[in-house]
Amino acid sequence: MGYGILKFDTLTTSDSKNTSTDKSIDTSYLFNGVAKEWHLFDQRGDIHGANTIADSFNVASIADVSTGHYDVTFTTGMSTNAYAPVSNHHYTGHIDNDQFSRFSAPSNLSTGAYRIAGQYVNSATGYEDGFFTVGTNGDLA
Amino acid sequence: MKTPEFQGTHLWERLCWAKEKLEGIQTDIRVVYEDPEDMDNPAKVLCPDPNWMACALQGGILPPVESYWELAKDEAQPDFKKHTRGYLLHDTKPIEAMTEEQAIEYLIKKDIPQRIWSTWNEGNKPKMVICRTHQLPEHRQWRNAWQIKEDIELAA
Repeated sequence: MGYGILKFDTLTTSDSKNTSTDKSIDTSYLFNGVAKEWHLFDQRGDIHGANTIADSFNVASIADVSTGHYDVTFTTGMSTNAYAPVSNHHYTGHIDNDQFSRFSAPSNLSTGAYRIAGQYVNSATGYEDGFFTVGTNGDLA
Repeated sequence: MKTPEFQGTHLWERLCWAKEKLEGIQTDIRVVYEDPEDMDNPAKVLCPDPNWMACALQGGILPPVESYWELAKDEAQPDFKKHTRGYLLHDTKPIEAMTEEQAIEYLIKKDIPQRIWSTWNEGNKPKMVICRTHQLPEHRQWRNAWQIKEDIELAA
């Protein structure tokens, strides 16, 4: 079976299982809605080894900056600095530690990179390495 | 596997192809660097992405690093709001396959500030060192004190 390219502007479904009413969606809606970047970064290293990008999409590199801080650099950058990385931070990623959820957030957004900081308590000394999962939505350059 | 002719294809779509077709390549090479404009913070450790590394070694996917530099110049303008030259990533002829060493050099020039890599060996000690993971400290207990040693021995 060969591969080819299908070019179309809309997708239509009969929605036979639910309403049996045709519904259409502009394919650009699909493109605009999908994550443009995601990654799993094990900074602490309990699962994949310290400072390891376990898997990702559209990431060129991650720089470990300091405890609980790292910078993500895109392969394909964003068109503006207004986009939305959504980050999660866990102590180790192990089920045995599932009571140790942490919190994290992106900052310093530029079109080519952003920073993630993770903490266990909201103070200048509350930063902590951990197991980070992030997905980013927005418009590409 | 042969890379399709990608010149003119959006870079992000090329990455979709690569994600489906190529196995990620985990390298144990790391780049440790210190920023002279940020001496209060410890040394940073750059970790190459495995899927990016697969693209670099495959060839025909990534744009020349100069394309990124041009976009960075645009973003540095005080009136910058939105990129209008994204075509530099998508329409410029992709670069050929690189060796792992060439890929790291490309990544340094793409993701580390030029003020660091262009003068990496000037001053009292190197500002940047390429190493293997086993050469980094074994644990992260004192992560915020990591620095490049002043008497570090550099390989040729």
